[in-house]
Formats: sequence, structure tokens, C-alpha cells
Amino acid sequence: MPFFAWLESTAASEWVRGSPSLFAFPAILSCHTVGMGLAAGINAAIAFRILGVAPSVPVGEMRKFLPAMWFGFWLNFFSGIGLLIGYPTKALTNPDFYLKLTLIAGGVWLVGRISKRLDDFPKSLAVWSLICWGGAITSGRLLAYTYRHLLAGM
Amino acid sequence: MANFQVWLVHWLAHAAPPIATFMRSKWGWPMAESIHFLGLSMLVGCVGLFDLRLLGMAKRIPIAALHKLIPWGLLGFAINVTSGSLFLLTEPDQYIYNPSFQFKVLFIMLAGANALLFYATSWGRATADNAIPDAPKAAKLAAAISLSLWIGVIVCGRLLTFFRPGDCPASGPGIIADCTPRMR
Repeated sequence: MPFFAWLESTAASEWVRGSPSLFAFPAILSCHTVGMGLAAGINAAIAFRILGVAPSVPVGEMRKFLPAMWFGFWLNFFSGIGLLIGYPTKALTNPDFYLKLTLIAGGVWLVGRISKRLDDFPKSLAVWSLICWGGAITSGRLLAYTYRHLLAGM
Repeated sequence: MANFQVWLVHWLAHAAPPIATFMRSKWGWPMAESIHFLGLSMLVGCVGLFDLRLLGMAKRIPIAALHKLIPWGLLGFAINVTSGSLFLLTEPDQYIYNPSFQFKVLFIMLAGANALLFYATSWGRATADNAIPDAPKAAKLAAAISLSLWIGVIVCGRLLTFFRPGDCPASGPGIIADCTPRMR
């Protein structure tokens, strides 16, 4: 793909991939992991509450933690774009990457539903939220092991 | 300390050969890593949420009520100690001599001490029947420390691969080995 080859030849892409600075790839990766903990973790905690954990917590009040969840989500959106600029071929030629995006889209759709009606949120959808975020973590982790092409032309 | 590290690496390398064999199989390491990241999210999701509450978020939730989520955070921690041991038993020298791992363990121990201190000092005041929604200052400090330390643990974990220990210089390792000592 000429587009991937061009993107990989840009200074930004080479910086993400090749810079010896801890603020390049290592920092982006660290942000992506902290954001994952916040986004997936807070969604999991809300799902646990819906499923009956900590029953004395007023379930509607769990909504107040959503800003921290969204902080993690956007941290991962932008750090994810950083990683994608570094290795576009690696991610975009791997079906597992599209599985990850689909699971995140499902998870985000469920967050939208949760924001609207948390008080009588169906337990089955809370289970789906756990599946989406847990699946996104797993498929994301497996990206390192399932790619077919690391860079364009390889 | 360096001598203890050498002994520990040797002991870990021979402690459970079947685990190392499993971890070196095609999906052993990736599976353990995925579980490690799921455990991480449970830990940060539940403990971090509680910390955010102490810091002032979602003040209408009683602190004691939200604390019922903590066992699930501890379950995440237990999952990660277990899955983390699998890495350690397979490639002990990559961790025991790695400064990033040494800081990670230090931060985990400090987070544990910080939590115990919180329970010993401000838990009672924060959860009393007549407690005001705003947590005591000491509890807020403990929450800020807890959040910072767990983020530090994650970052150190992520930086492990960038601090792979090389061979120690001829002069030998320092008090704490952050390089692989040469075998005599």
C-alpha cells in the first residue's frame, strides 16, 4: 500500500518508531496502558455495580465517574493514533485490529445507553459491556503476536 | 543484595519447569499477558474509582458503600500477582536485574503500605455513620498517593522492555544489580 509506505516515511512516524527518547514510543505505550485501565476499568466497575456488587451504592450516582472514564478513553484515542502513525501497516493489515475497534465501538455504544438510563439498566447489557471491554483489551494485547506485516513492503 | 538477586534468579529458573515450558509455547506468553492486562484494569477500575471518590468525585455515594468494590480490585491484584509470577518463573533474569521491575515492586509495596496506613488512620472517620460526604484531608492524601503509585506501577511495567539488563561491567554489579552479573 503506497499510503502506508508514505506514512511510514514521514518524520512523525519515524520519531514514534525510532526515537531513543523515553518520551516517544515508551511514553505513548505507557499512556495507552494507563488510559486502558481507566476506560475499561471504570466501565467494569460500573458493570459490577449493575450486576449487584456494592448494592448500597445508588446506581445512578455511578454516572459521576464517567468523566474519568472518558478521560481514559480520549487518552487512548490519541495515544492510539500515535501508535498507528508509527506502525500503520502492522495494525491496519491485521484483522484482529478491526475486531478490537468493533469491540470498542460496542463498548462505547453501551456507555451511551448507560448514561441515559443507569437506574434500570439491564444486567445482560452490563455483561456485554464486560465482554466488549475485556475483548478489546485481549484483542489489543494480541496485536503484538498476530500481525502479518510489520511495515509496508515487509 | 546482588548476591541475593543471583540466588533468586537461579531459584526461580528451576522452581517450576512445566510453567516455563507452557509459557514458551505459542500462546502461553500472549495469554498470560492478556490476563495481566485484564487484572490491571480490574485493579485500576475498582481501587482507582475508590480513590477518585475520596478525592471528591461522586460525593453522594457513601464511602463505605463504594468500598464494597475493593474486593474486586484485590481480585484483579491477585490475578496479576499470579500471571506476573508466570513471567518471572520463565525469564527471571529479565526482571530481577531490571531497574524498571525493581521500581515496579517498590511502588507496589508502597501502595500496600499506603493502603494499610489509610485503614489505620482515616478509615474510621471517613466511614462513620455521621461522616460528612467530603473525605478527611488525610484520606484525600492517601487517595492521591494511591493513584500516583498505581500509575507508576503501570508505567514501570510498560517500560520493562526498554530497560532490559545487559551484562555487568568487569567491576561487578552495585549494591542492587541492575545488570546481569557474570557467572564465576
